[in-house]
Amino acid sequence: MSVASSIPGLSTGTVTLVRREILRYVRRPRNTFLPPFINNVLYFAVFGVILGERIGSYGDAIPYILFVLPGLVVLGAVSNGFENASFSIFHGRWNEYIHEVLTSPLSYGQTTFAYVAASTLRGVLVGVIIAVVGVAFTVAHPAYDLVSIAHPLYLAVALTLVAALFACIGVVGGLWARDFDYLTVLNQFLIRPLVFFGGVFYPLDALDGLFYTLSFLNPMVFTVDAVRYGFLDVNVLNPWLSLGVLAGATAVVFAIDVALVKRGYGLTE
Amino acid sequence: MTDTAAIEVSDLVKEYGDLRALDGLDLRVEDGEFFGLLGPNGAGKTTFIEILVGLTRKTSGHAEVFGHDVVDDYRNARDAIGLAPQEFNVDRFFPIREVLEHKAGYHGIPPEEAGERADEALKRVGIYDKRDERFDWLSGGMKRRLLLARALVTDPDLLILDEPTAGVDVQLRRDLWNVVRDLNANGTTVLLTTHYIEEAERLCDRVAVMDEGSVLDVATPEDLMSRGTDTITITLADQPREVPAFDRDAVLDAAVDGDRLTVRVEDGGRAVADVVTALQAAGHQVVDLDVSRTSLEEIFVQMTGDDASTARDGDAGDGGASDEESPAQAEVSQA
Repeated sequence: MSVASSIPGLSTGTVTLVRREILRYVRRPRNTFLPPFINNVLYFAVFGVILGERIGSYGDAIPYILFVLPGLVVLGAVSNGFENASFSIFHGRWNEYIHEVLTSPLSYGQTTFAYVAASTLRGVLVGVIIAVVGVAFTVAHPAYDLVSIAHPLYLAVALTLVAALFACIGVVGGLWARDFDYLTVLNQFLIRPLVFFGGVFYPLDALDGLFYTLSFLNPMVFTVDAVRYGFLDVNVLNPWLSLGVLAGATAVVFAIDVALVKRGYGLTE
Repeated sequence: MTDTAAIEVSDLVKEYGDLRALDGLDLRVEDGEFFGLLGPNGAGKTTFIEILVGLTRKTSGHAEVFGHDVVDDYRNARDAIGLAPQEFNVDRFFPIREVLEHKAGYHGIPPEEAGERADEALKRVGIYDKRDERFDWLSGGMKRRLLLARALVTDPDLLILDEPTAGVDVQLRRDLWNVVRDLNANGTTVLLTTHYIEEAERLCDRVAVMDEGSVLDVATPEDLMSRGTDTITITLADQPREVPAFDRDAVLDAAVDGDRLTVRVEDGGRAVADVVTALQAAGHQVVDLDVSRTSLEEIFVQMTGDDASTARDGDAGDGGASDEESPAQAEVSQA
C-alpha cells in the first residue's frame, strides 16, 4: 500500500477529497446556489435597474448596471469561496469527521489544495450564475445592449484567482474558528467591509486623495478592478499589476494554509 | 511476522500545559500480534493512539509504525493504520457507503475498487442493507459497526480499536470480536484498548497495563488475571453456623452471611469445582452459584495503589466505562 506511486500529478487521494468537497455543495443547491441567485436578482433589480438609471458612472459611458455587474460577480465569488472553505473545515472539525482526512496518507499540501480547489470552483460557479443573472437583466432592459466580455481569458484567470485567494483565506478562518460565531464575525467584520470599500458599487476615482490611497491596502480593490477590466475593458489600475498582486497574494496565503495544516493549527490539539 | 515491529515507541512524551498525558512511554508491538492496552481513564491510551495516527502532536520521543516515523514519514505510517475510534467522527453529509468510498480514496484506492471494498466492509460488519443511509440515521450499534467497517476499508496492516465495545450489547460485542479475531488470524496486527480485562483475556496475545502516561507492565492476559482474585458467591439450602473448611491453598478467604457464602480465590474457574465438592462433602446443598472474575479495578489497585475507577483530569479522550458491567459479568448474569 505504498503511497509513492500515486504522488505525481493529482493523486487518487487528492481527487477523492476534491470530489467529496464539490459533491457536498453541489448536492445542496438550495443552500449553496439558490441564495446568491436570489440575492443578485434583488441587487440587479434595485441597484441595476431602479437606482441604476439615476446613477451615472464613467461619464455615463457605461450604464450603472454594467458597471456594478463585475463587482457583484466578485462579491459572489469572494464570499462563496471564503464561506465554503471556512465552513467545510470548521464543520469537519466541529463534528470531528475531518479526522477521516487527517488520519489518511494525504500530504498537508494535498489536503489544503483539495479544500482550496473545491472552494474556488464554488466561487467561480457562483460568479458565473451572477453574471448570467446580470446579463439577463441587461438584455431584458430596452435601453441597454447585449453585454460582451472584453477579455475572456483574462477574466477567467482573474475570477479564478479571486475565488482562490478568498478560499485560501477561508481555510485560515476554518482553522481559527472555535465556534460558529467566529465564522459570522469573519464575514461581517472582515469580508463585508473589504467588499463595500473595494469598489464594487463605486468607481475608485470617486474617492478623495487619502481614501483613494488607503484603498490600495484592500485586496478587494485589485480583484474588482481586474474583473471589471476583463468584462468591460475599463480599469483604474494596470490589469497585469492587479493579476500579479492577486497571484502573489494567493500563493502567500496558500503557503500559510499549508504551514498551519502541517502545524496542526486548530486540528490536532 | 517480520523483524520490523508494527508499533515501536520510545520515551514518548505528550504534555498539555502542566499535564503530562504521556510520560516517557516505551512500547513495542510485534507484527501480527493481537495486543491489548489496558488502563483507567486518563492513563494516556487515546493520546498514544492519536499520536500514531496524526491527531495529536507528540511533545518529544520517538514513534514508528512498521518502521515509518509518525512525523517524518507520516504518510506511509498513516497508510498502514485503520482506526476505529471511541468517538463517532463520521462524515454526516454522505450515505455511509460513500463515506467508506471516500476513506478508501484518500488512501489511494481507485474509485471502482473503493466501491467494491466499501460493499465488502459493510457486509462484513453486517450493515450492508443500510448502505444508502446517512450516519445520523443509524442506531448506536450500527454506528459502532460502521466505525469498524471504515477502519477495514483500507485493508490496514495495523488495526487500532479504541474501546470498541464500550456500552454495546452482547450480540454486537461477539460479532465485533469474531470479525477482529478473523482479521488477526489473517495477519492483521491489532491494537485494542479496553477497560474490560475479560475482553483482553479472550482476544489478546499480550497486554500492556498503562497508568499516568506510562506502561506499568506488559504481560499475557493469563499472567495478569492470575495477579487478581475471583469471588465465588454460593447460595446454600441451609444456613451454615460457621464458615466451612476449605483447602487453604486454593481459597484465600471465605465469609458467610445467612444462606450466602462468599469465597475469594485466585482463580475462580479452577477453584469452583473444589469449593462445591468441599461443601457437598460437608453436607451442604448448593442451590445457586456465581463466579465473579477479577476486575480490572482490583488489578489496578494492586498494581498502582490507586482507585482506577476514578477518571483523572486532562484526558477527555479516554471515555469512562469502568463503572459499567464487564462483558464477562454481563454474560454470566444473562446465562
